[in-house]
Amino acid sequence: MTMKFCLTIAAITLVLSSCYKQSIADAMLGITGSKQTTTATLSYEINGNPVSISVKDADHQLAGSPTLYCEKSGGYILSGISSFGEIVFTFYTDSLKVGNYKYTSYYGPMYVTSFEGKPQYVYNPGDNMNFIVTSYTDGHITGNFSGQLTPAITPGYPDNIYGTPGSVLIKNGSFKNVPVFY
Amino acid sequence: MGKGSLTAFLVFFLMLQVNAQIGAMKLVGNNTKDYSMGFGAFIKTGVPVSDAADITLELSANIFPLKGYGLDYGTIMCPLVAGYRYTLNGTGQGLYIEPQIGYNLVGITSLPNDGNDIDLKYHGVVLAGGTGYLFTIGSAPFDLNLRYETVIAHGGSNNMISLGISRFISFGKRDTDY
Repeated sequence: MTMKFCLTIAAITLVLSSCYKQSIADAMLGITGSKQTTTATLSYEINGNPVSISVKDADHQLAGSPTLYCEKSGGYILSGISSFGEIVFTFYTDSLKVGNYKYTSYYGPMYVTSFEGKPQYVYNPGDNMNFIVTSYTDGHITGNFSGQLTPAITPGYPDNIYGTPGSVLIKNGSFKNVPVFY
Repeated sequence: MGKGSLTAFLVFFLMLQVNAQIGAMKLVGNNTKDYSMGFGAFIKTGVPVSDAADITLELSANIFPLKGYGLDYGTIMCPLVAGYRYTLNGTGQGLYIEPQIGYNLVGITSLPNDGNDIDLKYHGVVLAGGTGYLFTIGSAPFDLNLRYETVIAHGGSNNMISLGISRFISFGKRDTDY
């Protein structure tokens, strides 16, 4: 008799929980069904050479070495790794929002990416990286970017030796659904 | 998770201070893959009502962090449940089954959203069904348990599977106790 009672309660628990397909948070937010996995992408052309990064299920990238993400650390650091190397840009803000984030050489040298084996910097007057965040929704940012960079032909300390000013152009840059980690 | 997380961590800390035990748990169901393994602390006590059974009372604090955000975001629940624990061999020791019913005292889910965090607060009915094993080490009674638990609120449910061990606090003795 007692066994039957206990098993009945256990069965009711299972049945009731299976009747509610949504989590409490999803029910309160009006989200129905299963969430789709998010694919994050970033692409651009550097002196005409196309670069593309795509990460499936971007919210669950390999811990310790994610491929494409934005992390709040001081500002917000956008980082992507492709076969060309990495691209890095820092949004200098305490709270990332939709808007225009432009970095110029006025603020000092900033490493952005590598190209043809040379690190590329915002360094000379006229150099810049201009990122526009067009959407920041559900923990993911989307937008576009462009820039003008100068190669460091001989990296060194305390100062690099730079090559032709503004000789590296980044065009048609875009990023979509890049997860923002805290 | 702001004030909610502070409150929950205080509850968690206090429960550890009063010899509560910890457990590991996993949210299951739709859209739960964003959550890491959860952890919790719980106090469980009971009163024997027969040689085979106890009426139990359990307070727990369960924390489920959202992956990629440390402890900044996630879900916290503090259910208080009463149960009927029935040992299969009729001795009050060994393998048992236990249905439980109760109320979620605190429920908070914190989510990131466009720089403006979302904090959802809820309570809800708690139903659980579990099994476990009662044993003693020296004179200290222990309870190793596995259970399925659901918190129902606002037309949705948070479902979890948990594995825990606790030092059981018993009020009253069976006739067979010495």
